[in-house]
Amino acid sequence: MSVGGFADRVLHVDLTDGRIDKHPLDLDLAQRFIGGLGLTIKLAYDTILPGTDPLSPENPIVLGAGPLVGTNLPSTSRLYAVTKLPTSGTIGWCGSGGVNFGYLFKNAGYDHLIIKGRADRPVYLKIIDDEVEICDAAHLWGKGAEETSEALWMELGHPTGVMTMGQAGENLVPFSIAFIDRIATLGRGGLGAIMGAKNLKAIVVKGTRGIKVADRKRYKGLSEDFLQTIRSYPYLKEWQDLGLVKSFPMIPKETYYGMKKRRIACVSCPIGCKDVIEIPDGDFKGLVKCTSSVLNLYTPVLYGFKDHRESIRCMATIDQYGLDAFEFFGLMSFAKALADHGIIPPEQLDEEIATDSLASMEGWARKITYREGLGDILARGFKGILEEFGKEAETYAPPLVKGMQPYVGPGAALSWDLFGTMELGQVLDPRGPHVGASGSPTYFDRRPLEVFPRHLTRMGVPEEAFERILPGLNSPDQEEELRVGRLLKYSHAWFSILGSLGICARGAINRFYNASLCAQFYEAVTGIEMDVDQLRRRADRLWTLLRMANIREGLDQKAEALPHKWFSKPGFKRYTTEEPLGLQEGEEMIEDYYDEWGWERKTGIPSPQLLEKLGLKEN
Amino acid sequence: MGKYEIQTSKAKCTGCLRCQLACSELYTKVFNPSQARIRVVTSGADCSIRFEEDCNDCGICVDHCFFDALTKTKRESDK
Repeated sequence: MSVGGFADRVLHVDLTDGRIDKHPLDLDLAQRFIGGLGLTIKLAYDTILPGTDPLSPENPIVLGAGPLVGTNLPSTSRLYAVTKLPTSGTIGWCGSGGVNFGYLFKNAGYDHLIIKGRADRPVYLKIIDDEVEICDAAHLWGKGAEETSEALWMELGHPTGVMTMGQAGENLVPFSIAFIDRIATLGRGGLGAIMGAKNLKAIVVKGTRGIKVADRKRYKGLSEDFLQTIRSYPYLKEWQDLGLVKSFPMIPKETYYGMKKRRIACVSCPIGCKDVIEIPDGDFKGLVKCTSSVLNLYTPVLYGFKDHRESIRCMATIDQYGLDAFEFFGLMSFAKALADHGIIPPEQLDEEIATDSLASMEGWARKITYREGLGDILARGFKGILEEFGKEAETYAPPLVKGMQPYVGPGAALSWDLFGTMELGQVLDPRGPHVGASGSPTYFDRRPLEVFPRHLTRMGVPEEAFERILPGLNSPDQEEELRVGRLLKYSHAWFSILGSLGICARGAINRFYNASLCAQFYEAVTGIEMDVDQLRRRADRLWTLLRMANIREGLDQKAEALPHKWFSKPGFKRYTTEEPLGLQEGEEMIEDYYDEWGWERKTGIPSPQLLEKLGLKEN
Repeated sequence: MGKYEIQTSKAKCTGCLRCQLACSELYTKVFNPSQARIRVVTSGADCSIRFEEDCNDCGICVDHCFFDALTKTKRESDK
């Protein structure tokens, strides 16, 4: 039986000298790291020189799509980028629903793309099957992310996968993002700026080679049963209808239905969570906006916008520029506090900062993007503001993690206060704070602990770890508790498995997958032997290697310290009892997390013995 | 002419291409949407669905549509 799933090639592009090489995929390496996210981490580890400036030509962008991408297994179109990120200074991942880009990249015949160097003029990379060309992008430079996508589709037609950034990326704003097919994002961390530093406006891809499956008969049996499970899910229609509004009903259904134009699904996804909306009335009537969720368009509402139509218009502007909206609004709130207290002197404020005003926020988004006046300081992010305005400014800063504002918690946009794996993960994911379920049961509030073992089994947690995660589980006399740090280890491991295969980690779909099924799908698609134990071992290997990549960069446990402001009143609460959470308790969770991976409990450094066990010693 | 008459509803289409994936795999043994006999393009609010000349109305595309954008009815002659 021949190997399936993989496209069998890695594309190398050096923008400095224009060299383009296609290398055969090292299948042994792919097996050791599963593929997708795992192998992207390994290739990045091997390519990033320690100490590299994120915005230097030497910093590579490594892209990857897993072995299931291109098949019709549900929601298998994920795309990952790993690079050294300018916002956090860490080596981290950016992930995106692949929309069309993921399957077209695989169909063009590539599993991974490694881009190095810096072009001497604005360029875009065009990949059409075997033909790979570095093209002039003078006509695209200066355009917004959506405008660029439209212009490239006008040139190349559909289907074409488009990865691009806006003017913020061109001007090296460290919290600029990249877009996939105009609707999904390779978000937090600054991938837009890394593309800008390379003079790389976009990557476009078309592919017609196809993806084969090694064992068609087994694949068919497994996938038909699986699809039937999804079809029978009682809430399927509701998920399809409402998208993320089902989980987070922050918009009245009537308002949502009044603007919904189309549900968009990434290729192979039977649920669909992306939205195309049109403003039905008011000053911006007729504005059509594509978004990875309509909820994103309400970010300005969280910061005081009263009119949701103005909020959508504001997000349309921010997305064109390619700014990270959460970071932008966090910064503007901070800047407003500094202005109100005279720390930013009035003469530097040529425009009022009002986080509830469309005119003000659009104005500041433009100033930041084009780095005009005070906007140039704000464009350097929280770190830049603190450097500029000194110690006095710190009092007004929100809790920060790796120089970025967390999504969730006291002072953040989302004021969820129960401390589960996502909340702790904001500190412990190398990329910095972000939101994501990663399959963890604590993503939703107030789940009773008796349902946790079912989720742990699904996520591939070995039974011997259950008692460590849920002490008292099997002892009627002992009160049950939840060890969030230990659970987070397995949440990250489960995310690693899904990402390496190419499966979406969003809660609406990953609820249907389990570790055993993942191993079986991997075997059927690739023809490579796999079981749950081997998947676990590979997850341990790839996440530990990501840890090593950051330790090599000088990351230590101090960079993962919990913000003290999280523990002043009103702070986070325990997930189970909803009592106030103490700093020491949080610190013990971090130690538990390190310990569960087998890393040194106090420092988080993997021991030489562990590295040897995981086959990482040569790294 | 195949067994089924296939109806399309562009308003319900999400562009997931499950139809193209299934069609191409059935007829070429490879997942290759560029070889499918049904072609779907969604771009923002717009959508087009068309069938290639060699489509024989077998209906596998309908079986794989989760959004009711494709439906099928048995032709009179096959009832």
